Amino acid sequence: MRHPDAPLVDASGLVRGFGGRRAVDGVDLQVAPGERVAVVGPNGAGKTTLLRIAATLLRREAGTLSLLGWEIPDQAQQARRHLGYLGHDPMVYLDLTAQQNLELFADLYGIDDASECITAALSRVGLLARSHDAVRTFSRGMGQRLGIARLTLHAPRLLLLDEPYTGLDSRGARLLDDLVADVGADRGILMVTHELDRALTGADRVMVMHRGRVAAEFPTAGTDLPEFRKRYAELTA
Amino acid sequence: MTDAAVRRVTALGALTAVLIGASVVGLFLVAPEDNGPGGEGQIQRIFYFHVSIALVSLLAFAVAFIAGAAYLRRPRPWWDDVVLISIRLGLVFAVLTVITGSIWAKAAWGRWWIWSDPRLATYTLVVLLYSAYFVLRSSAEGERQARFSAVYAIIAFISVPISFYAVRIAQSVVHPVVFTSKGAAMPNSMLIWFVIALAGMAALFFTLLQLELIQHRAQRALQEVKLRLERG
Amino acid sequence: MNPSARRQYAALLRKDLRLEYRTRETIVAMGLFSLVVTILFEFTVGERIGNTSAIAGGIIWATLTLGAVLGVGRTWVPEREQRVLDAILIAPVPRLVMMMARTTALVLFLLGVQVVVVPLAIVFFVNGTSPASLVLIAGVCILADVCIGIMGALLSSMSVFSRTRELVLPVLLLPSLIPVVIAAGGATDAALSAPRQMAEYRGYCLFLAVYAVIFALVAYATFDYILDD
Repeated sequence: MRHPDAPLVDASGLVRGFGGRRAVDGVDLQVAPGERVAVVGPNGAGKTTLLRIAATLLRREAGTLSLLGWEIPDQAQQARRHLGYLGHDPMVYLDLTAQQNLELFADLYGIDDASECITAALSRVGLLARSHDAVRTFSRGMGQRLGIARLTLHAPRLLLLDEPYTGLDSRGARLLDDLVADVGADRGILMVTHELDRALTGADRVMVMHRGRVAAEFPTAGTDLPEFRKRYAELTA
Repeated sequence: MTDAAVRRVTALGALTAVLIGASVVGLFLVAPEDNGPGGEGQIQRIFYFHVSIALVSLLAFAVAFIAGAAYLRRPRPWWDDVVLISIRLGLVFAVLTVITGSIWAKAAWGRWWIWSDPRLATYTLVVLLYSAYFVLRSSAEGERQARFSAVYAIIAFISVPISFYAVRIAQSVVHPVVFTSKGAAMPNSMLIWFVIALAGMAALFFTLLQLELIQHRAQRALQEVKLRLERG
Repeated sequence: MNPSARRQYAALLRKDLRLEYRTRETIVAMGLFSLVVTILFEFTVGERIGNTSAIAGGIIWATLTLGAVLGVGRTWVPEREQRVLDAILIAPVPRLVMMMARTTALVLFLLGVQVVVVPLAIVFFVNGTSPASLVLIAGVCILADVCIGIMGALLSSMSVFSRTRELVLPVLLLPSLIPVVIAAGGATDAALSAPRQMAEYRGYCLFLAVYAVIFALVAYATFDYILDD
């Protein structure tokens, strides 16, 4: 960790177009250590595009971006070590076993004492008994829990979550709630969701996006849900 | 579109017209007929156009190669335009090369197609190679389209000499190369007209490249205005 | 390669081999396809000329290259269908390591197919051959497979991100592989002919090696731009 106090995400003026229209159009975004930021907005507001740019999965067309103090894209490899990404899909190989999947990611992240880490992660998500079964035989909820195990295996400092509650069973949702709740002082979360209540309870700050731009940004403390809903409806009308 | 760009393209266009006009007059009326022993007579005149078109298509692909590398270093849409237009023009020239080569083959050897002419065979491969560029381009989107196109422009250009060499060694084994280029054996009076034809074709390429670049730039400016209007 | 890159390379390669071992999709499809094309050649070309020995090398490599397109097309398919691609791309793996693992897996799959198809094709088309010729042909296989593997990894990584993936790949791949087909076919014929044409064989193999080196360098220079979005 070169910059222990550097912002986890520091972006300004991000632009990214798709087929002639700008999905993200001049967005500034900061996530400080210990902070949880939720991005909400209607479909097509550019939430996922923004998250994918922050995840180094998509190139921006303009603007600046650094993650944990590393300049993107030049120092993307260093930053990637500390990123964890979870979307609607578990992002694991269906034809490998749970164990083999986690072994692969342990190797990719260069984790020492991989086998203990993997056992710990599997028991945390309650899949230890099924660790040698192919993921194809898992239910959707189980697969998603394996996704959480993959997400946390390398102890990432910045969690990037794209509608993570989609497809989770109640146990998985509890796991994710815990993960979001005790984020810790040097970690941060950037979460994209369309569930306003999740955004309000799970984040310290909410960003409302509309047509590729930030329509409003405010802390969740002191905001109650009905008021937030009303404001959201006005902003995205 | 600036006045300077218009002036440039006008001047280049005028130069092209003069060079090509001169080469047509020169090649058909002034240059000596190929009547020596083993000469091919009138039809040999197509050789000037055939070879200069072929060389200019290679020039176009080289421009695309350089622009592709430049795009990867600094992703500016302008470089992508240069890659696209150069390959489009280069491909047209390469197809013309194959057609004129086929006409020449018919006249010289009595057949429309001679696989044992390495240039004809190579250009056929080149046409295939660069046609694939447009398939790739039409199936990728956005900024990725430009990036992949640039990478492919590099791969394809490197494939050209490799293909030529592969065709050459395949033929040298199966049957000895009979029909070698006779370019070097040209008398001076022919060579001058050939150089003028070549310069004319090269100028034609650069004129068309400039024209299309101006058009692409205008199109992008229009797009930008539309976007701004939409946003209000 | 530093130790962590070596570990990543081994992990990615092991993953590809495990997936293939479990499903056996790629090798079986490539092998069957190659055999069908071989038989197609026999009935369209072989029947019409008496002695097929002279054209065996060309037929074998045209066949294997067409079959290779199937295998190259499977590249990145599990990642895409099971949406693992993002998880792999966000991991701190140098793109070159991904490319090398991909190439190695392709080469191993191709060799797996050729172990069966090449001897069969030789039985079909060639009138008696010696063990020494088979060893020489094995060398051609390895060299040509490296060429196909590099080009395949390079171009399939572009086609996987495209809209019309299955359509793009053969159009992209085959023109670039024509030199490989020519040289590998020539080398195989040189090894099969009696007496063996060693000078020719060496020339073709050298050509394949040069092709592999050149495109390895191109891949090295461009791969970052393909896999990074």
